[in-house]
Amino acid sequence: MSIIEVRNLTKSFDYFKKEPGLLGSVKSLFWRETLYKDAIRNINFNIEEGELVGFLGPNGAGKTTTLKILAGILLPSGGSARVLGYEPWKRDRTYQKQFSIVMGQKNQLWWDLPAIESFSLNREIYEIPAEAYKKKLAELVEIMDLKDLLQIQVRKLSLGERMKCELVAALLHEPRVLFLDEPTIGLDVVSQEKIRQFIETYNQVSRTTILLTSHYMRDVERLCKRVLVIAGGGIIYDGSLEDLVNRYVDHKIVTVQFRRPVPEGPIARFGEVVERDGLHMVIKIPKKEVPQRVQEILAGFPVEDLSVEEVKIEEVIQKIFESGRKS
Amino acid sequence: MRRSEVDGVKTLKRYLSLYRSFLSHNLKNEMIYRTNFLILIVMDFFFMGVNVVFFALILDKVESIGGWNFNQMLILIGTVGIVREMAYLTFRQGFLNIGDYIRTGEFDLLLVKPVSPQFHLGFRHISLTESLGEGIMGVLLVVTGYLRLPPEAALNIPVYIVFLLISLVIYYSFCLIVNSAVFWIIKSQELNTVVYYFMETARYPRDIFKGFGKALFTFVIPVSLIATTPASILAGKTDPRLLLLTAGVAAGLLLIGTMVWRVSIRHYSSASS
Repeated sequence: MSIIEVRNLTKSFDYFKKEPGLLGSVKSLFWRETLYKDAIRNINFNIEEGELVGFLGPNGAGKTTTLKILAGILLPSGGSARVLGYEPWKRDRTYQKQFSIVMGQKNQLWWDLPAIESFSLNREIYEIPAEAYKKKLAELVEIMDLKDLLQIQVRKLSLGERMKCELVAALLHEPRVLFLDEPTIGLDVVSQEKIRQFIETYNQVSRTTILLTSHYMRDVERLCKRVLVIAGGGIIYDGSLEDLVNRYVDHKIVTVQFRRPVPEGPIARFGEVVERDGLHMVIKIPKKEVPQRVQEILAGFPVEDLSVEEVKIEEVIQKIFESGRKS
Repeated sequence: MRRSEVDGVKTLKRYLSLYRSFLSHNLKNEMIYRTNFLILIVMDFFFMGVNVVFFALILDKVESIGGWNFNQMLILIGTVGIVREMAYLTFRQGFLNIGDYIRTGEFDLLLVKPVSPQFHLGFRHISLTESLGEGIMGVLLVVTGYLRLPPEAALNIPVYIVFLLISLVIYYSFCLIVNSAVFWIIKSQELNTVVYYFMETARYPRDIFKGFGKALFTFVIPVSLIATTPASILAGKTDPRLLLLTAGVAAGLLLIGTMVWRVSIRHYSSASS
């Protein structure tokens, strides 16, 4: 049995249309048009114990909604979901003791107190035996290098330090499933990398199942062998990141700087000209043809400079998102 | 003991110990802002003093207010202060923060914890100092009023304390019901202003209300019972019917409040995204 099973999960919610301006606001006091929107529509996936899966999608695609349903915060409108065999929205206490959710933009730590106080409160809430708590805390503090920060008021910590503490607070009860919603949002590059490193190590050592959403491709590229791409409320891809890129990208980008103006016509025979600006030209050439075509260009035209690049993963994903939105 | 009883005791123990942790966390929190503390106490003393003077002036002209003389009024006013402080030591602060929790989405993080969210939100924020001045002044007024009245059976004191707790249940349930609206309107400030102004009327004896007003302030807005019932015990006005009514209203409101709260959380889980 998979640790997470999602079948035809659907969540729709209603919202109000409000006209702009003060008049619109006054009008909306008396009459509002109710609109319905599917946040997610018939999504299906399974996750096995110990997997670290990335959830990719543009803003509003339904990533957070899905995580919130799996964490039992939201009730779905249709379909089913089981995590560790539990229906999350029943909010069974035994289920709640076996998972954690960390949201990059929300904090569970007590703002005015040192982080250690929040940790000890979580010990109480999750009924963690004193010995296990001490051991786990020491272990997490060690990996995260937090020893000197435990006694400092949370509000005086940097964003990155705070996120580390959030993660510690979420892991003290040794959850079997961990949901991470944008864990690196707003962090500087160094802190992002530290958090990534931690997630990677933790997943390997503890075999905790992790489902992670992120805006940053680096997070997913680095951490997840498997990605789920969600766009327009539905899952449009489920597989490895490599396959995803190969499937959607069959070309490389060749950028040429000419010495003299060159007509577009003869170049267009090699591949699609996607950008042209004076002596500068960008051409998409099918992967297999690249060596051959580059030679031909170098031989037949006054080239000053030429470079061949892979398509950036961000752009691939962007393209997939757009196609997902249209469909 | 039966199994369910054992579980019940276990749950009670767990929640008591959680309450202790919340209390100690909040006290640590409050000590960080020490200066606030003194100002609050002085303010409380001042406003309660104004109340006493106000009733003293009225009672100088009339014999009694709804059958309550000056010493009995001292007990009544003092009781309001004590109930308020007890509320701040338990649930009041949590309800004041509920709007923030929902607006920022941090309410989500309470919902995933293996603790009843009703308990968690209600008791996560405790303030010793917010109403401490009222509490101290309340005890002083009650003691003064009690000593100046002809002596009564000593048993009255424990009964008084029991009814303070029952009043607290009524106050809690009232807050719970009013604040459930926060899941629709998101802001809790106005809701708690409503609660505050109704609580302000608790210092008038219930006996001044008649007919419809009396029913309204007993069942719909149960404020008239909150101070009058416990105070009546020490004021030598004990009426078994009033005690029964108060206990009944407390039980009924707690049940209704819990149900309303559940419906509200369900609404929250269905409507947000």
